[in-house]
Amino acid sequence: MPPLNPLRPADEFPAGASDPPDAIGRRDFLRLAGASAALAGLSGCGPPAKTLAPYVVQPESIIPGKAAYYATAMPWEGYARGLVAEAHEGRPTKLEGNPEAAESLGATDAQTQASVLSLYDPDRSRSPRRGGFPASWDAFEAEWGARRQALAAKGGAGLALLAEPTTSPTFRREMRRLLERLPRARWYQHTALARYDRNGRQADAAVGEADLIFAIGSDFLISHPAALRYARDFARRRRSRGGARANRLYVAEAALTVTGSMADHRLPILPGRLAALLAAIDGGETAGLPAAEREFASRLRADLARHGGRALCLAGPEQEGHVQEWAAKCNARSGSARLAWDGPALRSDADPGSAGGLRELAGALEAGEVSDLVILGCNPVYTGAPGADFAERLADAAFTVHLGSYADETGVLCGWHLPESHYLEAWGDLLGYGGQALIQQPLIDPLYSSRSAAEMVRFLADGMAAPGYDLVRETWRAAAGKDFEGRWAGWLNRGVVDDGTRLPAPPVSAAGGRPEQAAPAGGGLTLLFRPDPNLGDGRWSNNAWLQELPRPFTTLVWDNAACLSPDLAGRLGVREGDVIELSCGGRRISAPVALARGQADGCVVVHFGGGRTAAGGVGNGRGFDAYRLRPGEGVWRAEGLEIRPTGAWQRLVFTQHHFAMDGRDLARWTEPGGRAAPAEPDRGSLFPPWPRPGHAWAMSIDLASCIGCNACVAACQAENNIPVVGPEEAFRGREMHWIRIARYFEGEGSGLRVAALPLPCMHCENAPCELVCPVGATVHSSEGLNQMIYNRCVGTRYCSNNCPYKVRRFNFFDYRAPADSPVHLQQNPNVTVRQRGVMEKCTYCVQRIDEARIAAEVAGRALRDGDIRTACQQACPAEAIVFGDLADPQSAVSRRKREEGDYGLLTDLNTRPRTTYLPKLSNPAPLA
Amino acid sequence: MSEPAPQRPPPAPLFGAGGTALYRAALGVVALSLLGAATAVFAYFHAPWWTRVGYAEDQPVLFSHRHHVGELHIDCRFCHSSVEHSAFAGLPPTETCLTCHSQVFTDTAMLRPVVASAERGRPLRWQAVTRLPDHVYFDHSIHIAKGVGCTTCHGEVGQMALLAKAERVDMRWCVDCHRNPARALRPRDEVFEADWHPPADQEQRGRALMAAYHINTTFLTDCNTCHR
Repeated sequence: MPPLNPLRPADEFPAGASDPPDAIGRRDFLRLAGASAALAGLSGCGPPAKTLAPYVVQPESIIPGKAAYYATAMPWEGYARGLVAEAHEGRPTKLEGNPEAAESLGATDAQTQASVLSLYDPDRSRSPRRGGFPASWDAFEAEWGARRQALAAKGGAGLALLAEPTTSPTFRREMRRLLERLPRARWYQHTALARYDRNGRQADAAVGEADLIFAIGSDFLISHPAALRYARDFARRRRSRGGARANRLYVAEAALTVTGSMADHRLPILPGRLAALLAAIDGGETAGLPAAEREFASRLRADLARHGGRALCLAGPEQEGHVQEWAAKCNARSGSARLAWDGPALRSDADPGSAGGLRELAGALEAGEVSDLVILGCNPVYTGAPGADFAERLADAAFTVHLGSYADETGVLCGWHLPESHYLEAWGDLLGYGGQALIQQPLIDPLYSSRSAAEMVRFLADGMAAPGYDLVRETWRAAAGKDFEGRWAGWLNRGVVDDGTRLPAPPVSAAGGRPEQAAPAGGGLTLLFRPDPNLGDGRWSNNAWLQELPRPFTTLVWDNAACLSPDLAGRLGVREGDVIELSCGGRRISAPVALARGQADGCVVVHFGGGRTAAGGVGNGRGFDAYRLRPGEGVWRAEGLEIRPTGAWQRLVFTQHHFAMDGRDLARWTEPGGRAAPAEPDRGSLFPPWPRPGHAWAMSIDLASCIGCNACVAACQAENNIPVVGPEEAFRGREMHWIRIARYFEGEGSGLRVAALPLPCMHCENAPCELVCPVGATVHSSEGLNQMIYNRCVGTRYCSNNCPYKVRRFNFFDYRAPADSPVHLQQNPNVTVRQRGVMEKCTYCVQRIDEARIAAEVAGRALRDGDIRTACQQACPAEAIVFGDLADPQSAVSRRKREEGDYGLLTDLNTRPRTTYLPKLSNPAPLA
Repeated sequence: MSEPAPQRPPPAPLFGAGGTALYRAALGVVALSLLGAATAVFAYFHAPWWTRVGYAEDQPVLFSHRHHVGELHIDCRFCHSSVEHSAFAGLPPTETCLTCHSQVFTDTAMLRPVVASAERGRPLRWQAVTRLPDHVYFDHSIHIAKGVGCTTCHGEVGQMALLAKAERVDMRWCVDCHRNPARALRPRDEVFEADWHPPADQEQRGRALMAAYHINTTFLTDCNTCHR
């Protein structure tokens, strides 16, 4: 077997990279071409007519041709992400963070960006179904009316409701109301994801004030209800030229995470070894530890002593109890309790009215205590661990109802499936992780006949439907006291309840903490379960944007894989794509191997979200179902894993194949106070110098702040009508992202260095692409934009071949959705939808430049710095991207570019890129 | 020594004496027809039949701009209300028509589609007169703000009983003005005047207005000004 080299694969350019997809052969193509030519002949007389249909009564708030913005909120694992949604003539097209919301601060993450696509998902459930056949809400209401009477006579005995834990005050109020009316009904809660509460309390942290952060298996920069705030606070202390303000991050984790990639000292460590490591950090007794752990422990111990009250320790919610306790103790002992504190749990996991989780519900079903089961917005047949046998248990209830956006694995097994409204279609309210209340305001009437979970609970309790608007207002009217209408209007306007109005604190039970952990068993490997970075617990599996978004570090798309460290794969004799059988605790599944750099040896990481059977056309059959191995709800680790190669091979699709910099300084590093590399010599140019009079658009990306979270990639896709191409095409390297995050690795083990390099179009002043275009379809604007003119492009692809940064994307086929697909409603009307045969690339969001310029000039003022924010910049939680006018010496981008260390990529080619970078910061502890 | 074989008579020539002339004539016909075809294609796309200049489209209502603008002097913005604020000038919703027509000419045959639209809540479906391709992003508000009057592009609508397209609205026509906007610029308070005619010294005034409006023609001919 040839030696494994994870950084340089043999097949960097896969076979068939220039072939058409298998779906259309040559004959089919000719037949289609002939048919379309014939049809074109039929319709060719005169320019196409265009019909204009004005309103009969124009809504006051709509100005045709102008976007309207409304504040709303999105549930993320039950907590609020405050948003501002952009709507064009009543259809939401793009989401931005709400600057007023404490947990988003104007930023977003990739899942939030992609959630608008799910609203228009053609696979969404469109009507109620009874036994799999289309039915109506009326029929359900009639049937429920009869059952409710029977249940009410027994005080609700036999009725069980299963919902996801949420912070929504209205939902919880409705649930309490139902339990008051039907006191013997039971409310169960299920999530396959983490719980953030412990003994009825949830911990929060002032990440921005800590000089030293020790993250134990905690991906707090991306995977946390407060991740956007944490990332913002973290990055503000992490600028390339931050100097003495730079914080220091220690990470001990099993598998490389986004947070781990930012670490100054990172230790890959198996969870089973954490106890010894933590004890060594406490006691200083490092004798029995391996060298890497010993060095990490003694360095951290010295640093903790040095930083005293300004050190923060964060344990991931997936970590076991003793780790959580150690973190809490560490914070208390180092006097940094003011950096880490806890408050009452806000999510309903700890609600004393709750009867337990999936295990308890399965027990009640088996005991025959449940006659009527209503499942609200979750999919336990898929996300439940197989130990609960939930699919079989469903048959124990006589009457089963599923409310969900999709007729998913659970929906098809329930007697009734009812469509649930998307969060942009329904009224609601949510709490942020810090306790701030947000109003979830719908942007559009429900597209299909659907209801929200709160509306459903009200209907179940009363047998009478009430609109969600009334329910939410009922909740808040009581809290507002005087002048409710005035306050309500203000809340809707700003999206947050910020005038001191408070709801009574929800009841919290200190008992019933997190579910038990698997008992560690000796021997074999460690198996770790993690939510997919894109697909979460599987709820986003049918979202094509998230399926095609490269996973951080592996750049895997469209499938999940069993992640092994290259060393372990080498020992097992398996290569990337080889299918292995994982068996653990009597359960077994087959999964393809992906090589994960920076992962602790001796563990395998599997991600949820794959192997769906009823997700929809996009998600069905992608990847494998990791839940099949999970011993139970809330279990994140299993020991005793056995691996057997099966001899089979599965093609995995990666968007990056080469992770070594090969001596080029694509990603540069600096240290606080470190000397920057000398400025590039000016190589001269035959072209007139920039900047010329007028604006000079430019971008600066601070690699020290960039956490590599992919939010910019997803935001760009939403803003610029970028299509998805599917796994076949992505395999051929034809993905369409206008900005990608290149990943580079250096070193190994605890010396691994990771760089995330966001790569939009460089808008070179001497653009190589422009020189080779035979038709002038890419030319420079007077303001320094490298313009792409689609209607001139004839598709030679010379420009792409001549681009040293490979940021140009070609429409090999017509990647648009079918004409009747609702997906078109998402598209930005201010950006051309590209057709087959044209090149496209990042435009610096020229539609936003134009819009801001027109707005400024109509108002009779000059463009101000900050008027224009590109989609990637706006989404970035770390404020790593700055865009603006280089001709204005006071603009933010000019100031950034004057900083020492500012550099361009591949400048030896004399391309003079307008997009430049600041080096990544590494802030290691001084040697003791 | 053998007899030489009797020579066969030469074959009759394929082309007679006139063959060359015929060939030249045929070449000429081919050349002429190619030229004719090219001319026809050129003419087709420049004829009003294609450019629609001067054509009035079939509209659901026989609406007269001459009456409303030329005779009643109703301001353009009364109906096209978003022209100063949005890319799209705006078409009046049916209720705007009924501002007056719930009182005047209420039961005329001409007004029946408007009344029906209001009664049934169905929009009137107008045919666009000035159409732009989808890859052109035209914005009304900035043109108004920079002193380009309505009639400069839409023609003398106050004279049109049925609205017809006044200009070709192709790329050359747009770019001609973007290169030299001076001949079209008006003081802001004359933008909505329906019977505006350029004064004799328009070039001079236009240049002064360009300076006053801060119009930078370098930027105006960048591709991204209209195409995104």
